[in-house]
Amino acid sequence: MRASPKRRSDLQQTATALMFLAPLLLSLGLFFVYAFLRALYYSFTDYDLFNTPQWVGLRSYLAILADDRFRIALTNTLLFSAVVTTAQTIGALLLAVVLNQKVRGLGFFRSAFYMPSITSSVVITLIFIWLFQRRGVVNYLATQIGAYGPVIAAFIALVVVFQAAQVLWERSRGRPARALDPALLWISVALGAVGVWLALAFGWIGIRSVEPVDISWFASRERLFGLIPIPLLFIMIQNTFTTIPTMMLFFLAGLQNVPSALYEAAELDGASKFQQLRYITVPMLRPVTFYVVTVSLIGTLQMFDQVRIIGSAAPLESIITLAYYVYNNVFPSGSLPRAGMASAAAVILALLTLVIVALQRRFLISDEAHS
Amino acid sequence: MKRTALLGATLVLLTGSALAQKNVTIKINGPGGDVDPVIVNDLINRFVKPAVAKDGINVVYEPFQDYNPQLTIALSSGNAGDLFYLQGEQAQGFIATGRILPLNGLVDTKPFVDNLVRAFTVSGKVYGIAKDFNTLTLTYNKDIFDEAKVPYPTNNETWDSLADKLRRVKKALGDGYYGACLSADFARMGAIAYANGWKQFDANGKTNLLDPKFVSAFKWYTDLVREKVAVQPSDISAGWPGECFKNGKTAIALEGGWLNSYLKDQAPNLQYGTALLPKSKATGKRGNFLYTVAWAVNARTKNKDAALKVLKALTSPQAQQYVLESGLAIPSRKALTNNTYFKRNDQAARAAKVVFDGASNGTVNLYGFGKYGPDWAQPINAALSAVMSGQSSAEAALKKAQADLNALKR
Repeated sequence: MRASPKRRSDLQQTATALMFLAPLLLSLGLFFVYAFLRALYYSFTDYDLFNTPQWVGLRSYLAILADDRFRIALTNTLLFSAVVTTAQTIGALLLAVVLNQKVRGLGFFRSAFYMPSITSSVVITLIFIWLFQRRGVVNYLATQIGAYGPVIAAFIALVVVFQAAQVLWERSRGRPARALDPALLWISVALGAVGVWLALAFGWIGIRSVEPVDISWFASRERLFGLIPIPLLFIMIQNTFTTIPTMMLFFLAGLQNVPSALYEAAELDGASKFQQLRYITVPMLRPVTFYVVTVSLIGTLQMFDQVRIIGSAAPLESIITLAYYVYNNVFPSGSLPRAGMASAAAVILALLTLVIVALQRRFLISDEAHS
Repeated sequence: MKRTALLGATLVLLTGSALAQKNVTIKINGPGGDVDPVIVNDLINRFVKPAVAKDGINVVYEPFQDYNPQLTIALSSGNAGDLFYLQGEQAQGFIATGRILPLNGLVDTKPFVDNLVRAFTVSGKVYGIAKDFNTLTLTYNKDIFDEAKVPYPTNNETWDSLADKLRRVKKALGDGYYGACLSADFARMGAIAYANGWKQFDANGKTNLLDPKFVSAFKWYTDLVREKVAVQPSDISAGWPGECFKNGKTAIALEGGWLNSYLKDQAPNLQYGTALLPKSKATGKRGNFLYTVAWAVNARTKNKDAALKVLKALTSPQAQQYVLESGLAIPSRKALTNNTYFKRNDQAARAAKVVFDGASNGTVNLYGFGKYGPDWAQPINAALSAVMSGQSSAEAALKKAQADLNALKR
């Protein structure tokens, strides 16, 4: 019996599809499936890159769980992932909403905000190291703020007073004036500047002489809120800074699909900008949010490069992450690689990533995201 | 028939000439960076290639940017060069892989300085031929001392009198200038501890960081930074102490011969002098590190004989003379130690002489970590960093470092 023409064309279609998919399937098979299976196998052996692997069962896993450094790496990784994913998602969403407005020079702002993402992370890490080094810009600015403290405080106080006075006066005359009315604010700022200048001239306030701020941020062993090591905090800030633009792009694309009729209707009903964001933008962007959070979680759980570049500038236990722990085990200096241990740690990291992504799919994003 | 015979004869001739030529290419791996590849390439082109060309051997140099991890992978996957660099402090780990050829009976090690041969010997087998060595010296910037009206450091300095001079320099020149750049690194601070008579490992193979001899060296080093007479290189945007010195910001540097070749290149007009490291007041002795790198042969090389020939050319007297004159390091051959170069009167040659003398003056230990590898130095470096940045007291930091060292397993 011959195959019907329809069936033959189906077969042909499948073959064509497979042919187009072949390059991807091959590279996936080789670099992902094969590599993963090998790593899984090595994680149960004592492989050191040079010997014939001997089966040792769960020994590597037990050794890892008993390793203090692993526990530190795990804590750091989870902290890093939670903080950066949150900051990234919220920051990217807000940026996208802002860049979705019709403002002049939109193209410029969009490119400018996208720059950090296409700049090499090595370069950005180096810039951050320079900013935060002992004689760096951050310490300098902190010193200046300390020195000019009275002046800055006086200026802010004056601006607030002038603004309040103007707004109250306008309102008393029956004119609707918002608290931060731009025109009035300009006048307040100008009056504040004059006030500060006069105060300086009469010597009521002065520039303090303070000890220069002299903190070596990267060598710090302090923890923010007793939890986040300061050097890790820098990596968090930096990572957020470099990845927000990419995430922003996803949100921007998502925003294009939100019908403008929804906003128009909301505006007619008297919804504020924040309410529009809360009740239209956020729910409509759910599928994109799910994607962004997932990508961000995977990226942050496996963060490696920035730790590696900061390297010995910071104490290892303040910055070590799981991915760096894996690397450290493959290349311990001056002794045989512990590929077995490293593979086991990598498998644990993979499982962790899987579980966390599954959990966020289950609990954080509601069902409509999956359609 | 006739034609086949002719073809056969041609074939025989062709293979015959190919055999006579036996062209082989020997690949050498070494670290990338600014200095090494240039000097090594030059060395290969000028001394090695001509020496082995008559044997039909061609030589290529392949640098690795991130040397030790990349060499590990190359060795494991069978892609490593026939010959490669082997750093003294990394040697034990690489020898343990079984991929390094023992050279006993293949290379005569007698012409080489014994201490250096020992650095690459494990259970009686020699795994590398030291290409050269280095020690630390006290290099000082003459202009800075002149300007501060402080006498130059001499060979009779103690660590205390040196600290005193540095304080005076700092006081005279003020902001922007420092006595020294000190990095949080056992590779420098350890030399002071050795001068005090501290031993890296006691009879039981244990390290004692709470030994007063170590503690006082540790405090000398970190106190200078806490007093702001010295700074860490990163504090003034430098990558290493030599860069601070090159920029003319620091009065002294505690570095080795590599500083000379670096200055020759980067600051040819800087007027500097070189003295031996200071002595310890307590023992009246100096301490120093002996840093060395060897050439080792890949145990799986397909061209063992050719590789050995290249190894010999790389460590030949002519090649070593060239390295000496580049200012980078001191030859590892005993015969070259009475070199006329040492008698020359330019600042680089004088510095080279001090590097050379440093190896035989006082307590000199190989820069290495026994069976532990560089992980051993981590806790000490962390302690140095914690104290120098004001995060911890010396006592607390050393106590933690000792606990971390005790936990090191191997």
